[in-house]
Amino acid sequence: MGKREIELRLNGVERRLEVEDQVLLIELVRGLGLVGTKLSCDTQVCGACTVLLDGRPVSSCTTLAIEADGKPVETIEGLADGTKLHPLQEAFIDRFAFQCGYCTPGMIVSAKALLEARPDPDAPAVRHWMEGNICRCSGYQTIVDAVLDAADRMRSAR
Amino acid sequence: MLRRFDVHRATSVKEAVRLRQMLGEDAAVYAGGTELLLAMKLGVARWPHLIDVKPIASLREITATKDTLRIGATATHWDIERDTVVAKTLPAFARLEASVANVRVRAAGTLAGNLAFAEPHADPPALLLALGGRVVLEGGAGSRSLPIADFITGMYQTAIAADEIIVAIEVPLPASDVRIAYVKFQILERPSVGVAAVATVRDGRFVGAPTVVVGAVDEMARAVPTAQFAGADARAAGTRDAIAEAARGAVEPTADLAGSVEYKRHLVGVFAQRAVDSLLAQAS
Amino acid sequence: MSAEHGGTTEHRVVGTSARRADGIAKVTGSARYAVDLSVPGMAHAVVVRSTRAHARIAGIERDAAAASPGVIRVLTGDDLLAAGLTPYYGHVVLDHPVLAIERVRFHGEPVALVIAETKREAAEAAELVEVAYEELPVVIDAHDALKPDAPNLHERRGERVGDEGMDEGEGGLATNICAIARVGWGGDIEDAFTKAHLVVEGEYRYPMLYGYAMEPYNALAFFDQGDLVVYSSAQHVYMVRRDLARMFHLPLARVRVSAPYVGGGYGTKSYTKVEGMTAAAAFFTGRPVKLDLSVEEAILTTRSAAAHIRARSAFTKDGLLLARDFDIVMNSGAYTDNTPLVNSKTANRCFGPYRIPALRVLARSVFTNTVPSSSLRGFGAPQGNIAGELQMDEAAAKLGIDPVELRLRNLVGPGEEFMPGKRPLDADLKDDLRCLSAALEWPGATAGHSIGLGVSASDAGAYPTSTAAVRIHSDTSITLFTGSTELGQGSRTVLAQIVAEELGVPLESVSVINGDTGVVTYERTTGASRTTTITGRAVQEACRDARRRVRELAVQALSVASGEIEDTAGGVRAKGKELSYGEVIEKWFGAGGEVLGHGAVRRAEGFAKMPPFYEIGCSGLELTVDRETGQVHVTKLTTVGDVGFAINPALVHGQDAGAAMMGMGAALHEELVYDGEQLANPNVVDYRVPRFSDIPDQLIHLLAERRDGSGPYGAKGAGEGAGNTIGSSVASALGRLFGVFPHQLPMTPERVWRLMREAKRE
Repeated sequence: MGKREIELRLNGVERRLEVEDQVLLIELVRGLGLVGTKLSCDTQVCGACTVLLDGRPVSSCTTLAIEADGKPVETIEGLADGTKLHPLQEAFIDRFAFQCGYCTPGMIVSAKALLEARPDPDAPAVRHWMEGNICRCSGYQTIVDAVLDAADRMRSAR
Repeated sequence: MLRRFDVHRATSVKEAVRLRQMLGEDAAVYAGGTELLLAMKLGVARWPHLIDVKPIASLREITATKDTLRIGATATHWDIERDTVVAKTLPAFARLEASVANVRVRAAGTLAGNLAFAEPHADPPALLLALGGRVVLEGGAGSRSLPIADFITGMYQTAIAADEIIVAIEVPLPASDVRIAYVKFQILERPSVGVAAVATVRDGRFVGAPTVVVGAVDEMARAVPTAQFAGADARAAGTRDAIAEAARGAVEPTADLAGSVEYKRHLVGVFAQRAVDSLLAQAS
Repeated sequence: MSAEHGGTTEHRVVGTSARRADGIAKVTGSARYAVDLSVPGMAHAVVVRSTRAHARIAGIERDAAAASPGVIRVLTGDDLLAAGLTPYYGHVVLDHPVLAIERVRFHGEPVALVIAETKREAAEAAELVEVAYEELPVVIDAHDALKPDAPNLHERRGERVGDEGMDEGEGGLATNICAIARVGWGGDIEDAFTKAHLVVEGEYRYPMLYGYAMEPYNALAFFDQGDLVVYSSAQHVYMVRRDLARMFHLPLARVRVSAPYVGGGYGTKSYTKVEGMTAAAAFFTGRPVKLDLSVEEAILTTRSAAAHIRARSAFTKDGLLLARDFDIVMNSGAYTDNTPLVNSKTANRCFGPYRIPALRVLARSVFTNTVPSSSLRGFGAPQGNIAGELQMDEAAAKLGIDPVELRLRNLVGPGEEFMPGKRPLDADLKDDLRCLSAALEWPGATAGHSIGLGVSASDAGAYPTSTAAVRIHSDTSITLFTGSTELGQGSRTVLAQIVAEELGVPLESVSVINGDTGVVTYERTTGASRTTTITGRAVQEACRDARRRVRELAVQALSVASGEIEDTAGGVRAKGKELSYGEVIEKWFGAGGEVLGHGAVRRAEGFAKMPPFYEIGCSGLELTVDRETGQVHVTKLTTVGDVGFAINPALVHGQDAGAAMMGMGAALHEELVYDGEQLANPNVVDYRVPRFSDIPDQLIHLLAERRDGSGPYGAKGAGEGAGNTIGSSVASALGRLFGVFPHQLPMTPERVWRLMREAKRE
């Protein structure tokens, strides 16, 4: 079979694309130039490839692109509003929650889904939600701090 | 990167069955794909066709009658964890679902897919077996339901017929005074031991025999012979030790990077006791 | 000793936890790593890997692959030979084939390279390449490789190409010995052992590890009018340049290697990895070619050396060391790579910063038919400490002396030489240790909790060759050129802070261009915790040179004598008038213009004595054990960053936290396991790195800033030290908890369980 036409809302922009069935969502996204989403383990365990599909965090390395048909997809590039950073992004910077940065897009996207599901998590809830995201550089604590910090910022902004 | 394949979207169970009949061994049933696509990526399996059952509306439903919780085949672990019907009827199962793999696998992976793949190191089969869960299948010959123990027949092997799909998992709802526990040990990506325990406890004694099932350590979940514990004092050290011994004897652990046979067998005993402790800690 | 750096009025920018220069790029996903780059017309390469651990290549059948759709070319090692290229690389010994030649020496070794229009087409064609092997006897275990009947993996040794800074090995190496190092002093060591009140003796094992930098190795290569351009994930772009120049017989000036942001290094991306293969693909096809490895392939490219150490330590009744004796055997894999240096450092780092009257160390790294080993964070110190530091704890237990007190009695003091002929110790380890033990509340009072701690001083910094350049623009903003790469350690930020401090300009006005041999200035390596100390000094020199140039321009432009010009923040003062750099520049040029300052450091003056500095490791932890499962839970982790001066305290804490967590990984879970001729767990599903659930309950990261380093403002390096004693800390904590000291890492739950059973039996 050839290509299938899909329509998705990618970082708020309506896109109409043709993809073959076996193309993975990470291949689609990175192929469109959105290279913030990273490939690492390619086996769903590291989280570097996390994107939000219909609001849920998924491993884009093991999700078919055609699953995005009719759904919103959000990558790291969709968080900032122009130059205005998302509170998570600000918190990650202020808390030094990254070093090499390769895991960071996946971390932030995953945390965004957490804070949407649970705006006031405690540290154990953050650690449980993020357990599927690996960081090799930081030792993780600054990431937990950043997510809790972002939750505070987002609550005060409301 | 995956090898080329075509995805066929079934909009009804009948259509899915027909596709299964038409495509035979060249097709796999696909919903979340968390096990399936990974297996294809690793090169351990290859299918030129996938039959996507997610468009079938009836498979998404989670419903309950007075006696039975019915979880549709395309319900994800994420859905089950949060579902209000599950929360009301079988919260212990919601808790188990919340502990499966990681949040991304839970977001996309289905309970039915987990059972269909029959990965030995899995959480759901032990508790489903302990509760008397059944897999509801539909194929060319019609509908049937198999108890978990008859559905999962070995490592990565099930009794599903070539033209069948899973449509639901049904769990008989226990009486309100029945206690349910699931405990596990996990260091790597998959659990290395999981123990489900289901029992009625009154004044510290088992009413009838407790049900204990050990999963994730053998080729499939194994029920532990527990008839001798009917009416036993659940708090007595002797009972706990005997249950642990029975559990240890009921499994043949697979040695792997998570541990030797000897260590895993030891863990089975430990977690059988912890499952009983968890039952006792619950208010009736 | 401080947990929070208070900041002083002495400095304006250094000493503050300035936000990272790469922050916005990394949190928005706009930071580009080599793997993200592409150029028009780019082709893709996929590696065909050996399915044998040791075999002669009888033939490679590639016609089917070559005819496969999209395939441009299929390359083998013989093609490189036939084209007159140097088909080997290696920065110490030239023995690592770009693609296997005549023989494969480990399962997974690259045998052929398929280049196609798309990665999918290359992968599909790669499956069609058929290699015929004539199997040879295989040796996986290092001790087996030392046996007289072992197969000889390198009958013909490669040419030694290392320079003074690298070639620390001995010549005349016997069968399968890749590197050998001997360290020793003092008199009759056996006499010391016979006279000792206590001899602690044991065998210790440190596992084979995978660094798991989350960005796997990758490169993009093309030829630009005969000049070679390579973008890759390399830590040492100038070392790769050298290998590539040799490979293609090109002058250094016509090879350009550039590393944008690197997605994790930890030493695993030191030296050449896939750049040679990728450049060869570009050479033969005339196309830009990209090669990016999967994580599994990355594991098949580089791992770290496992160690088996037989150690003896002799003590007096009062716990004073009389002698130490180490026999170290490391399994270092199929090719030399960085083994001579790792081997040498393991020999230097096993006995600890103690007064040792008599020492004997023999370290041998052995060729085996396994993945080649190379640098990994700690670089021999973690391996050495599982024997050396642990024996201090074992001795303390046997002598009935507090292990902290035992160390205090033996530690050398600041300014004391503990390795003859080498730089005296530039740290106050006793104070560090007291600080550490106080923070851990040693000896601890909670039942079931056990504390382990340790001290190490690594001869760090590698070779102190570094240059830097600063451009002062006509608006007083600054560009820093540095050959150091940004691996996440924060080099771009720290070096910018030094520039801002030295030149008296706001940090925001400093931009950094780094890691591109075609653009910036020479940096020997980025690793060995050296960038702050050594590159930092070069940056200071560049700033001083720039200021000198500005003063020269001011003399001419303002017609004043040089004695009448003073440096100010961001400019000069002459005849009572203050001018910014930019104003001086514009005045001199008439319009526009800029000033360039250049700095260079070498093994001279402050860096004359080797090592350029010691990297201190002073970490400890408190743990509990689930007595039924053996699972360890770390309740407290404490690190002391004895860095002389923290140019950016938050970044030091980050390095310490990361290094300690990596140390915990090796101490508790990480181990690459060979199952016969192949790795059983070449992936991160079955190789377990630390996760969120491993965060210790309480983390304390302290700084010791005594301004005692050879780097800027008295700084010394960080990045590895905090992890060096984590392994021995876990082992000693378990030993004190159960009364039996484990001698092997990782202490997985099963191994702890077995230790508990062994303890019950004793």
